[in-house]
Amino acid sequence: MKVLEIKKVRRYFGGIKAVENFSLDVEEGAIVGLIGPNGAGKSTLFNCVAGVFPPTAGEIVFLGERTAGLKPWDLCRRGLARTFQIVKPFASRSVLYNVMVGAFAGTARRSEAERRALEVLERLRMVKIKDARAGNLTIADRKRLEIARALATRPRLLLLDEVMAGLRPTEVDEMVAIIKGLRDSGMTIFVIEHIMRAIMALSDRIAVLHFGSKIAEGTPQEIARDERVIKAYLGEDYGAA
Amino acid sequence: MLPSRARKLPLVLVALAAFGLPLVVTSATYLHILILLFLYAYLTTSWNLVGGFAGVLPLGHAAFVGIGAYTSTILSLQYGVSPWIGMFAGALIAAVVGVIIGLPTFKMRGAYFALATIAFAEGIRVMFENIDHLGPFQINGPRGLQIPPLKTGLVHFMFADKEPYYYIILVMLAAVLALTWAISRSKLGFYLVAGGEEPEAAQALGVNVARAKLAAMAMSSFLTALAGTFWAQFTLYIHPKSVMSLDISFEIAFIALIGGRGSIAGPVLGALLLRPVSDFSRIYFGDTLPGLHLIIFGVVLVLVMLFQPRGLQEPLTRFYQQAMRRLSGGREAAP
Repeated sequence: MKVLEIKKVRRYFGGIKAVENFSLDVEEGAIVGLIGPNGAGKSTLFNCVAGVFPPTAGEIVFLGERTAGLKPWDLCRRGLARTFQIVKPFASRSVLYNVMVGAFAGTARRSEAERRALEVLERLRMVKIKDARAGNLTIADRKRLEIARALATRPRLLLLDEVMAGLRPTEVDEMVAIIKGLRDSGMTIFVIEHIMRAIMALSDRIAVLHFGSKIAEGTPQEIARDERVIKAYLGEDYGAA
Repeated sequence: MLPSRARKLPLVLVALAAFGLPLVVTSATYLHILILLFLYAYLTTSWNLVGGFAGVLPLGHAAFVGIGAYTSTILSLQYGVSPWIGMFAGALIAAVVGVIIGLPTFKMRGAYFALATIAFAEGIRVMFENIDHLGPFQINGPRGLQIPPLKTGLVHFMFADKEPYYYIILVMLAAVLALTWAISRSKLGFYLVAGGEEPEAAQALGVNVARAKLAAMAMSSFLTALAGTFWAQFTLYIHPKSVMSLDISFEIAFIALIGGRGSIAGPVLGALLLRPVSDFSRIYFGDTLPGLHLIIFGVVLVLVMLFQPRGLQEPLTRFYQQAMRRLSGGREAAP
């Protein structure tokens, strides 16, 4: 079953074509990677999918329903959660409080929200720091908090926007293990990432965005060999090699 | 995380002391000062639902005080309706007006929101000052409305002494404190804080930020208007300058910012500190230096913002918790 269908989506900002005719299907239970150089339009595409702004043209279907007109909070309640590339913790509050905000998407009862939040923190091994102020966390913990809050909404599809940027190699390995664990529990994951080692290890399929257009799609092995991808990343001179 | 018995005890003691105070304080002047102190603590606590939890700075709450005062007074003078009923009629109208003001203004941020709320409130005041009749209702423009003290008693919300007023506002304050405490722990409370701190992140987590703010605004203006009726029945004379003036809105904001926005104790602490300053400076310097209290407020506000930007409640709460821990033999962990 297709969890997410992106059909010929364009997004223009004035005269700038941030995303041009992008199509992609995300199958249930898959980890799909989205890569591309800086400014390729990856985050713009995520914002369209998450309902932050509508696509200029084209349509997005989530769990069989067209998402036109749905706002981020509507999509969240239908099972779509996301993290932000630039983390946005509720800085003055505790880690537990932050995660409970997400948990309230599925329940109005405080005790139930707290139980769900603790469950997520347990899973991400963050229980030790549950009472820490979110604004005082290290960058690695802030990235994990982004994921924890999103998970607390109990999503079917999780959009991860560069959750590994700025992490040390051991922390990246840990994050890869966490994300694989999520997939194994039945979640579908769509992930933007710059760290090649991580995206190659994680993804079942990868799509490559370059100047707003999809230039390649395939398994990690296919992408690693693709001529156009190598050119896009390393420049024309390396393409012939 | 219910407060343990040890932590509840001081609250109970404070409540008992507050209820017993009129037995000790017999001077009408001091009782009057205490009543205004509780009134402002009540107003600021109501304001706190929007100004504290939702993280915006409304500066037009005087309009809701006025709407409450005028509604119950008009209903009682012209139609003989008990102020107790008029109180809730005024609150409902204020809630509707609050939502109408909130709809366009919550899209603005920071100072723009504050300015827009001032504009709405001032607009309402100027309107009341310049018309004698609003439809069938007599409002007498700048001359305002006088409530003739004919029938006293609880049913008429009118008393010859100050004690009954003291107890009414004390009960109102206790109720609104309990209500905000409950809201701060509820889904709405979490959503308000989240939407106030990081609206984009909150929306991605399922929070309809605008709707949460409007709900808070409706409740806040409803509660504020209830105090307007109290004000009218307490002073028995209302006019736009008294119950709709910008000074009220500013004093509420001063109390909240100095006491600590977004906390339960902040508004009460702020009122405890600032109300005596404003009353005593008026008593002793009213002739020579009118407005002195505002200068003092300004200085205190600058100092608090520099050294305790989250208000005085933060160091005081820390001190209180340490004392509690010591009293309970260090067994309780820090929350």
